[in-house]
Amino acid sequence: MDAIVVDKLRKQFDPPKGPVAVDGVSFSIHEGEIFSLLGPNGAGKTTTISILSCLLKPDGGEADVGGFSVAKKPDEVKKLIGMVPQDIALYEDLSGRENLMFWGRMYGLTGSALSKRVDEVLELVGLTDRQKDRVDKYSGGMKRRVNIGAALLHKPKMLYLDEPTVGIDPQSRRSILDGVKDLNAAGMTVLYTTHYMEEAQELSDRIGIMDKGKMIAVGTQPELVRMVGEKTRIDIGLDRNAHQLAEEWRKLPGVSSVTEEEAGPLSLMVADANTLMLQLFDSARATGARVTKIDLAEPNLEMVFLHLTGRALRD
Amino acid sequence: MRHVYRSFAGLAMMLVAPLLLAGAIGAAFGSGNNFSISLVKTVVVNQDGGAAGQAIASALTSQQLASLLSVTQPATPEAARAAVDAGDAEVAVIIPAGLTQSLTAQNAAPLNVEIYKDPSVSVGPAIVGAVVQDLVQSLNGARAAASAAAQLAAMHGITDPGRLTALATQTAQAYTAQAQNSRTVTIDSRSPVTPGGSAPVRPNTAGQVLIGMMLFFTLFGAATPARSIIEEQRMGTLPRLFTTPTPRSVILGGKYIAVFLVVLLQSIILLAAGRLIFASHWGAIGPVIVLTLMGALVASSLGLLTVSFAKTPAQAGGGSAGIFVFLGLISGSFTGSTDIGGAYSVVRHFSPLGWLLDGWNHTMFGGSWSGIWLPVLAAFGFALVFFAVATFFFRRRYA
Repeated sequence: MDAIVVDKLRKQFDPPKGPVAVDGVSFSIHEGEIFSLLGPNGAGKTTTISILSCLLKPDGGEADVGGFSVAKKPDEVKKLIGMVPQDIALYEDLSGRENLMFWGRMYGLTGSALSKRVDEVLELVGLTDRQKDRVDKYSGGMKRRVNIGAALLHKPKMLYLDEPTVGIDPQSRRSILDGVKDLNAAGMTVLYTTHYMEEAQELSDRIGIMDKGKMIAVGTQPELVRMVGEKTRIDIGLDRNAHQLAEEWRKLPGVSSVTEEEAGPLSLMVADANTLMLQLFDSARATGARVTKIDLAEPNLEMVFLHLTGRALRD
Repeated sequence: MRHVYRSFAGLAMMLVAPLLLAGAIGAAFGSGNNFSISLVKTVVVNQDGGAAGQAIASALTSQQLASLLSVTQPATPEAARAAVDAGDAEVAVIIPAGLTQSLTAQNAAPLNVEIYKDPSVSVGPAIVGAVVQDLVQSLNGARAAASAAAQLAAMHGITDPGRLTALATQTAQAYTAQAQNSRTVTIDSRSPVTPGGSAPVRPNTAGQVLIGMMLFFTLFGAATPARSIIEEQRMGTLPRLFTTPTPRSVILGGKYIAVFLVVLLQSIILLAAGRLIFASHWGAIGPVIVLTLMGALVASSLGLLTVSFAKTPAQAGGGSAGIFVFLGLISGSFTGSTDIGGAYSVVRHFSPLGWLLDGWNHTMFGGSWSGIWLPVLAAFGFALVFFAVATFFFRRRYA
């Protein structure tokens, strides 16, 4: 059963000349799964999640959450979702507990039920012993945890996380990823946006890849990788003649694409790396270039994005 | 609201600035019912050995005038004039010799009571001059009565000069006694009193200025918490609030109520401080409550309006300060309730503060409800328009 259904969603800022942030996006999220929206900055992920959390109104298309239209029944939708915004959205001059009490009231909790739920969430995010400290005294990772905790107070059926690991240390990042898995294991449907391929790979049951406001691919990780066609990526660093060699290698049989990056290695998508490797070294030597680095990567989401857009995900 | 109370600069702007300005202006221009002047240094030389000279000298040194005059009595007119020349006294009163005799003698040459005053001061000599003038008029009246009595006695055949003089003296004394104890024509000076109420108290200068300052600074008092809406937008807490089931109208309405309460509290504190520090009189309690509430309503609505079209707290701060100063200037907030008149009396009503000042002016001078309903309605109209426009902009921004 689908928890979220998005059909031809469209959003343009400052029409008619403003940028189209979301352009005909369609996808669905099954109940109980973790669905990641993967894409570079500016792909339209945050705009999509903002529409699904009733913060922005779409200009076109439909989006249903838990069977309710975000445009027509926003109040019903808001009861079902917990939204973790990209930036820390807390009152820094209040303590962690005071923040959770405030946000709990905003979700309609009161009295002892609120207090009990705040205790549970503090325990969940591991901040029971620091609950009375002001948020501005917290580390970045602790703030992120309170930021997530505030969205869990009303036990939402669906949790939206908009790039929740940006700018935090590896330990806090690991804690958040494990926490998301635990919440999902407890039955919560998760919509997760990220531009980190590794996070999408680790967490997601299914992934939607976005670029320039469009959904360019949706599927499980194996399904997406198959789109690349069982290819291997070879990154070759050269001390000179990179452009000349890129032109030459594009013509080789078994090479499907060669991507040049400024001052970076050439990226080749090849069907059989073993048979091509010697040929590549020979042609480099023939031009007087020296191979300074070589990496082989099995097919992954980065390659899928490269395959679909001609650009690296980090661009 | 918490941010307002934690901001020292904000509190200073809301409470300390209006009190300081009102206190300074009140001190500079006097304070109405607390009016007082320093004692007038007066020197009196009485060269007359009789009752008339003694009457003038006694009047000037009497207990009734002790709170106005500080009198010394040098021996000679020259010493008295020298005291004025040296600045040791503001005014000298020199009573000539033979004054009493001139009042009773037939065909006596007129004598002058000399008032020698410091030309650089005006109030003190004017007071002394008025007192002496009153006494001299009384003496002239007595002299006229004595002269008339002597002439009547002569017409009835009394020709003995001794008897005539005694008769004239007795008449003059009787006239003076009658004039002091049994006045047939008196002046009754009154102020209007509301039926059943007590006599109105004239507001002092500091109080009148404080009302203008209060109305002006409540605009800033409202702007500070109103700016928290933009601040929350920047922090991301406002968009997050909009993702909760709490309706947007409740969220923004709550902000408006918070702004209103901050301004109301500011007004109450300023009115109470004005009463305690400047002994200001605000008027009847009912109109005062209505005008205070209306002032808070206008300030909070205008505060919201100024932030509704701003995108950053700095933009809101700069823009609102300009609007507030403009409204304050055209309304007369800086001149208290003084009625300047002319075109200004029309222009000031383009600002809600001008109407509110009218209302306060009316109630401070003892006016009743009938005089404040128009200012209150006009201010309410401004508040409604401000609120409607602010709501329009907020709806557009957060739709």
